[in-house]
Amino acid sequence: MSGTTSTLEPLFTFVTSSYAALETNFFKIPGSAVVARYVKSSHQNDPGRTLLEVILIIFAVRTLLQSRTRADHSGKHFIQFDEKEIDDLVDEWTPEPLAQPLTQQEKADLACAPIIVGPNGPKPKLSTGKTVTNLASYNFTGLSGNTIIKERAIETLRKYGLGSCGPPGFYGTQDVHIQLERDIADFLGTEAAILYSQAFSTISSAIPAFCKRGDVIVADRGVNFAIQKGLQISRCTVRWYDHNDLESLEQVLESVEKERRKKKAPLTRRFIVTEGIFDHDGAMSDLPKLVELKEKYKYRLILDESVSFGSVGRTGRGLTELYNVPASQVDMLVGSVANGLSSCGGFCAGSHVVVNHQRINGTSFVFSASMPATLSVAASEGINILRNTPSILSTLQDNVRAVRAVLDRVECISIPSHSASPIIHINIRWPSPATLQLPSATSSPTKPSNPLSVLPRDPPQFDVELEERLLQDVVDEALAQGVMITRARRLRGQELVDVRPSVRLAISAALTRKECEKAANTVKAAFVKVLGKRR
Amino acid sequence: MSTAASYLSAVSEADARARAHGGTPNSTPALSLSSSLTGSSEDTVLDDTGADVVDALLYPRVPPTSEQVFTTVHTEFGHCANEKYRFTSQHRAGTPYKSNPEQDPPYYIVLTTYLSYLMVICLGHLRDFIGKRMRPSRYKHLMAQNGYAALNSDFDSFYTRRLKTRIDDCFSHPVTGVPGRTIVLLDRYSPDYNVTMIPTGTRTRALNISSYNYLGFAQGKGACADAVEESVIRYGVCAGGTRLEGGTLDLHLQAEALVARFIGMEDALISSMGFATNSTIIPALVTKGCLVVSDEYNHASIRYGVRLSGASVRMFKHNDMQSLETLLREVISQGQPKTHRPWKKILLIVEGLYSMEGTLVNLPVVMELKKKYKFYLFIDEAHSIGALGPHGRGVADYFGINPRSIDILMGTFTKSFGAAGGYIAGNKALVDRLRLRGHSGTYAEAMAPPVLTQVIASMSSIMGVTIPVEKSSSPALPLLRASSVDTHVSEFEPECAYPGTAPVSALPVWMPLAPTLVDGSDGQMRLRRLAFNTRYLNRGLRKLGFITYGHDDSPVVPLLLFGPGKMAVFSRMMRTRATPIVIVVVAYPATPLVLSRVRFCLSAAHTKEDVDMVLTACDEIGDFLDLKHGAGERWPLQEIIDRAVELVNMPEAP
Repeated sequence: MSGTTSTLEPLFTFVTSSYAALETNFFKIPGSAVVARYVKSSHQNDPGRTLLEVILIIFAVRTLLQSRTRADHSGKHFIQFDEKEIDDLVDEWTPEPLAQPLTQQEKADLACAPIIVGPNGPKPKLSTGKTVTNLASYNFTGLSGNTIIKERAIETLRKYGLGSCGPPGFYGTQDVHIQLERDIADFLGTEAAILYSQAFSTISSAIPAFCKRGDVIVADRGVNFAIQKGLQISRCTVRWYDHNDLESLEQVLESVEKERRKKKAPLTRRFIVTEGIFDHDGAMSDLPKLVELKEKYKYRLILDESVSFGSVGRTGRGLTELYNVPASQVDMLVGSVANGLSSCGGFCAGSHVVVNHQRINGTSFVFSASMPATLSVAASEGINILRNTPSILSTLQDNVRAVRAVLDRVECISIPSHSASPIIHINIRWPSPATLQLPSATSSPTKPSNPLSVLPRDPPQFDVELEERLLQDVVDEALAQGVMITRARRLRGQELVDVRPSVRLAISAALTRKECEKAANTVKAAFVKVLGKRR
Repeated sequence: MSTAASYLSAVSEADARARAHGGTPNSTPALSLSSSLTGSSEDTVLDDTGADVVDALLYPRVPPTSEQVFTTVHTEFGHCANEKYRFTSQHRAGTPYKSNPEQDPPYYIVLTTYLSYLMVICLGHLRDFIGKRMRPSRYKHLMAQNGYAALNSDFDSFYTRRLKTRIDDCFSHPVTGVPGRTIVLLDRYSPDYNVTMIPTGTRTRALNISSYNYLGFAQGKGACADAVEESVIRYGVCAGGTRLEGGTLDLHLQAEALVARFIGMEDALISSMGFATNSTIIPALVTKGCLVVSDEYNHASIRYGVRLSGASVRMFKHNDMQSLETLLREVISQGQPKTHRPWKKILLIVEGLYSMEGTLVNLPVVMELKKKYKFYLFIDEAHSIGALGPHGRGVADYFGINPRSIDILMGTFTKSFGAAGGYIAGNKALVDRLRLRGHSGTYAEAMAPPVLTQVIASMSSIMGVTIPVEKSSSPALPLLRASSVDTHVSEFEPECAYPGTAPVSALPVWMPLAPTLVDGSDGQMRLRRLAFNTRYLNRGLRKLGFITYGHDDSPVVPLLLFGPGKMAVFSRMMRTRATPIVIVVVAYPATPLVLSRVRFCLSAAHTKEDVDMVLTACDEIGDFLDLKHGAGERWPLQEIIDRAVELVNMPEAP
């Protein structure tokens, strides 16, 4: 017994001496006396609390030491391998090829895009050497090739060079950009506008700038691809209403409101997202009704006028001018400078708050170089021309009417586009309406579609491959007869709702009424010939 | 005040012009063609955009001697004839890649930085608290009202309102004119602490060390601008629609072929916006079941694209090859989360040159890893293309790596080429697939003809143009070219040598060709001047004692400021110097909170004197703001300026 004590003696002395050293050192730290007194007194008052606090401290240290990113190592699904096994697995793994080579059909699909040699315009020359009438390119107002614009562009080029060499935040905001933003805002009658350097990236960046997780968006089922991508990025709650059906919209708005009241959820931002003239089929929104609904249910309206800006209305101001609705009632009015003003880029017009918010939060505004000064001035000049020459738009409307007058009477096709729309989509009309029908014909008002799903209740049935092939034959036939038209290109499989294949015409004011009629007759003949063969 | 100087330079200018026109008969026709297009006001010194701008930037500090001929406008592209001020941007073979070690500042700096953020945040909340009660009208747009939720709640916008607004005068400064060597600022002031900015109507010309103009192609005069002017006359300004729906011009095909040749890849596609190149093409590369391994500092456009694609993402520590390898071993051995199925494919996305860090990707090691781990490699060369490598072909050229061993090279035209938009280069099958499956071919507008021409002109200027030998001596070159191209296109097609020149058949027949463009001397001069300026500023700043990040050969030079207050002061002091200098300051959220920095972007357009000026300014302001905390040997300013050439040519920064 004493033997053990004597052998343990040095150990005890070491423990006591180190404890003493620790204590003196601890009390050397300034403020340590306070801590010690606190611990002592709290232990005295409530010994259980000491235990609790010790556990708390241990827990805090453990939390701090744990990896922030919740490494998979600790996860249930992590499998421990040794180095050798990992090496084997690495050797075994064979990735898929980065890209499958194109199939024969895809190659043809790529090759069928016509190549224009020289300037694009109403009568471009193709790489085949043929000069054709152009009903494919976007040149609604015929501004492309305008000599005044060219002169101004060259003037600007000499003063500014070409590129802006910087994002807007870092010395990329040139006075010409500010001018164009002001021109667009004045033209539309909004407080302000913001320029993006690509039309496609405008709305897919504007939507996520405002709509965050938890916000509600009610969108049309037929919105274009850019909007779909914007919705995807924003991660907000999306509810869908039937394509261009405002009754369906009202039902959805009502149901969302009901849901909110039931859940007693806090007020979140709510938006209606739709298009002026739909890129998918040329249908036109009823803006006054839209505005009425959005005011009633207190939603904000994001209206994509990529097609309608610069192509409808008395001077091309778009849907707001056509329906005589003040643009200030549309909260975010998005348009394309590339299509509407024959330049490049896009814009979002609205109040100062809306615009300034995007200057910091619009991803593709902040992280991209601003558009070349030359193109910006060209667009400003375009607005000037539109303002001063209302005849351009009346010519365009005449041309649209002329083309529709020819095509509306054709038996084998159907046109979902609005009669004033400068883009005209043409679908194949099949003779037996029992199996293959138009979307509009099927939407019998029995049961509404599910707003949670992007798919309508009974989606129209069609054979994409067959129709695409026939339409391509039509396009080729028309081209052979000297009219350039195009199939509406879609990323099949990436679009949320499969879009019915169509041929898309884009009417231009640069063509005369005669030329338009002639071209329309050619298109008609091509359809009749190709589809007639089938029957 | 500067009448004597202007008189002198005007005389020397007139002299230069006369010489230029009486040059060798060989070069005369093309030159006179281009000069006739620029009109009568061609002047290599004076630029009359800002008549009220009087300053030292208009004239070269060292006036040209009678032997020197400059065809550029000095304010756009500085005159520098001294051949010593040239360098070649190239990685020394056999040495490992090494960027400057990231130095930590003294503790008191870190502490004061945190403190100042804390103070500003507390003050901001205090102001909000009081403001909401005293002046509710000012907070109206941040509150729910009238049944509408606030578009931007007060909490979400706190950082912008209370922190960024304080230094808003350093951002989004409106400018005018060419963003070249100098830039003209439109002066503004704010009566209400940066809430509104009011233009004063005056202008200030400042030395521009912030635009992405690496090779100095932002020019309103010169060979590229001449070509663009010609294209506007011929093509107008719009391509008219998407690429697949009637918006494809012959220029698109020419530009794509030239880009592919420039990069050294089989094929390339062009998209009309740099940001959209990533955001619309990456979704076509990877899908669900694929993994994207991404550097933590990758650009927003890459993240946007990856998010759209639906692929899984894993990040590794910035440019840390060990972290990358560990991650790769983990993800390949584990497979997809939960199911443990093998990944369909793994795509590593890195940037060639990181624009906030100034670091280059450690490509030699990445290539080794690629061999072992079989991932696909996507390099975003937005900043490095044109700016790096002895031939300006980007980071692969810099490290001497065959570009074809890389799967996808992406880049933009905004930076080095003075244009806009971007490209993706790869093998033919891949690029064709992207043309068809990428969003931009189907839905986005095609690139405008003037931009395409700028790309073609600037790129061929870097490459040099091969003209068939028997015809090159002919004085009426453009005419002959026009007739010959149609008849035998393939005749002069040289081997696709990389890095080779641009065959004349690849260029539009109407494009005016300046002799300096044809022989590639213009491009070489730009590349070598940029390389010199880059190394000089990088090493000069460190010799002055500053903490900078990145690599010596990176034309983006981040100088660490740390304190948020120092950003504003630095920017304002630079802008209000006798010769104003504009710089870019970057802070959170683009950088970590305490690592606020100023970023210099060098250009071939800068002369050595310009870099001297920047160094002098930094030296003075650095003392004032207590910024010199770098380790290593220091030199006094004068010594750095005097021994610049020696400093640049040292193989290893001492």
